[in-house]
Amino acid sequence: MANATYLQAISMALREEMRRDPAVFLLGEDIGVFGGAFKITQGFLEEFGPDRVIDTPISESGFVGAACAAATAGMRPVVEFQFIDFIACAFDQIVNYAAKCYYRWGIQVPVVFRGPAGGGIHAGPYHSQNPEAWFAHTPGLKVVLPSTATDAKGLLTAAIRDNNPVIYLENKFLYRHQREEVPVGEHITPIGVAALRTIGRDLSIISYGAMVHHSVQAARKLAGEGASVEVLDLRSLVPLDRAAVLRSVKKTSRALIVHEANITAGFGAEVAALIAQEAFDYLDAPVKRVASLDLPVPFSPPLEQAMLPSVDKILTAARELLAY
Amino acid sequence: MATKKSMTRSALPDYPAEITVDPRTLEYSPEQLVRFYDVMRLTRTFEEKLAALYRQGKMLGAVYLGTGQEAISIGCASLLEEGDLFSTVSRNLSAWFYRGVKPEHVLARWFGKDVPPSSGRELGLFLADMDRYGLAPFHNGSMASWIPSGAGYALTFKLRKKPNIYLAFTGDGATSPGDFYEGMNFAAIHKLPLVVIAEMNYYAYSTPVEKQMPVENIADRAAAFNIYSEIAYGNDLFSVIAAARRGIDHARNGGGPALIEFKTFRRRGHGEHDDGGYVPAEFRKFWELRDPIDMYRRWLLERAGIDVSRLAQCDSDAIAEVEAAVEYAEAAPFPDPATVSDRLFAPSSCDPGPDTGETVFEPLQQIAIPVLTSGQEDRGGGHF
Repeated sequence: MANATYLQAISMALREEMRRDPAVFLLGEDIGVFGGAFKITQGFLEEFGPDRVIDTPISESGFVGAACAAATAGMRPVVEFQFIDFIACAFDQIVNYAAKCYYRWGIQVPVVFRGPAGGGIHAGPYHSQNPEAWFAHTPGLKVVLPSTATDAKGLLTAAIRDNNPVIYLENKFLYRHQREEVPVGEHITPIGVAALRTIGRDLSIISYGAMVHHSVQAARKLAGEGASVEVLDLRSLVPLDRAAVLRSVKKTSRALIVHEANITAGFGAEVAALIAQEAFDYLDAPVKRVASLDLPVPFSPPLEQAMLPSVDKILTAARELLAY
Repeated sequence: MATKKSMTRSALPDYPAEITVDPRTLEYSPEQLVRFYDVMRLTRTFEEKLAALYRQGKMLGAVYLGTGQEAISIGCASLLEEGDLFSTVSRNLSAWFYRGVKPEHVLARWFGKDVPPSSGRELGLFLADMDRYGLAPFHNGSMASWIPSGAGYALTFKLRKKPNIYLAFTGDGATSPGDFYEGMNFAAIHKLPLVVIAEMNYYAYSTPVEKQMPVENIADRAAAFNIYSEIAYGNDLFSVIAAARRGIDHARNGGGPALIEFKTFRRRGHGEHDDGGYVPAEFRKFWELRDPIDMYRRWLLERAGIDVSRLAQCDSDAIAEVEAAVEYAEAAPFPDPATVSDRLFAPSSCDPGPDTGETVFEPLQQIAIPVLTSGQEDRGGGHF
């Protein structure tokens, strides 16, 4: 084990996979000489050279299109978006090319799209978004969101080895704030397998990404109030670990879904629908969601906090469900 | 309306209504010369059949034809070498046939039948099969999406130190989307072996080139990328081959991308639902007199000494092959609806096994939650 931040764990996975497989190469803005806007690829240019660490012009659709094509030709590109918000510029290549090639012709597209998502650090409307639902809605894409350094490494390793396009969403607050003992050497977190972060009997909080931390914090507080709360970290939205969701809800009979992306048509709606369809008879309370308001992410700290979910908002919703 | 203005802008060029090259200066055997004709004729016959079937209500969806542009596709396809890849748009069926795709296969796909590699999941017009034909995938979201793709394939050749090129067919209308610039820019920066064959057929659907481009020629756009470019007559097979060969040689020899523009004309509408009524009569007439197949046939008979009986054989073979393709496609089975969900994701080495009945418990080692001042601490030289 090595003590590493979430950001260092991402670097570890990239470096180990590049050493293991010569087909893996990186494209992105300022990832070479500068080592990436967040320094994830610091030192990579020196170790792997400019053919495998490609500084691209500012043209997301262009280099994403190039990466997708290289993937169909047997390469394993990993594309860095400087901020995940800019993935919108490459939407067409991802949803119309990468997502559909295998279904259309049986041609595999083993490409990873990764980049920093999430707010809470005062980065404003274009540097704070959580776009997972755009991609979860597109058949043919896998979508993963690590909440810990260990999973950041394990899910990225699995994503690079996956034969399909994978949207790998990093949380930029966790980059330097989440630190833990991370396995050294090969570590794989299979895509499509959820993990329990706390075990409980009275309420299931189903979450992913940065909000897992808020949810666990809330669960600890509720434990002090005598409630036994289970936190399930989905880790992967597509494919979704439906069995884990249903198992937890059938046990606790109460479900609260928490995500940072805004609420309307967010992925939580899909989870709520799954529970309503498959576990209705087990429920003792309505399914609730805590998510961001349906707004762009505002810049000023008090506005941003008002917009984003918080431990307090989770506690309020959880207490209502527990008292129902 | 055949105004003077549009005629000037669309520059009715001084292209002859005949192929002028001296056959003695060419290196082609009579067999090869006949083969060019054979594929041209097969394509024209096949497309005429598609149009007829469309009018009879027998086609699923739309039909898009490349009538009048066959010399470009065939000439360029004839220059591809082992390991090269290419992509086509809806006017390049003759390139497929030249590369060996079977008409029966195309038609069965067009009928929605269960034939590989799409098994009913994609239109007849969209085929990708790199292993058999060198035909790479493209999509029709952005109408220039295949230019970044081409850069990606060309990048792969460079990374693998292969002597190959990527050839992307495209059209005038498809040089307007941003993807055209992003892909060309990337390819030019890295001097990638990308050859773009841009067919100037003067109309994007109904919109004339004057309303698409502030420059007269597609090749004028090459200046922005500092790359090799050329303009040539697209209805003369040998003019096509000569210009395309210079571009391909340039790219294959490490010179970077090439943009080769061919002047031609889309004889049919955008699709068969479109009567092309917006094309000035004089302009249409000019190009109809320069039909690439008619010109090539005359040249074969009058200049190259090919016997008319050989060409007549090609003509009747084409009819027979197309009739057989219709029979094959009609008889081929539809895909089984039970297979609709098959093949969404490719299997992977890290795929999880079946659900174990228990969810793993992996507690958080450390909780991290932003506070109001988050984002103001040490960032290790990076953002945030």
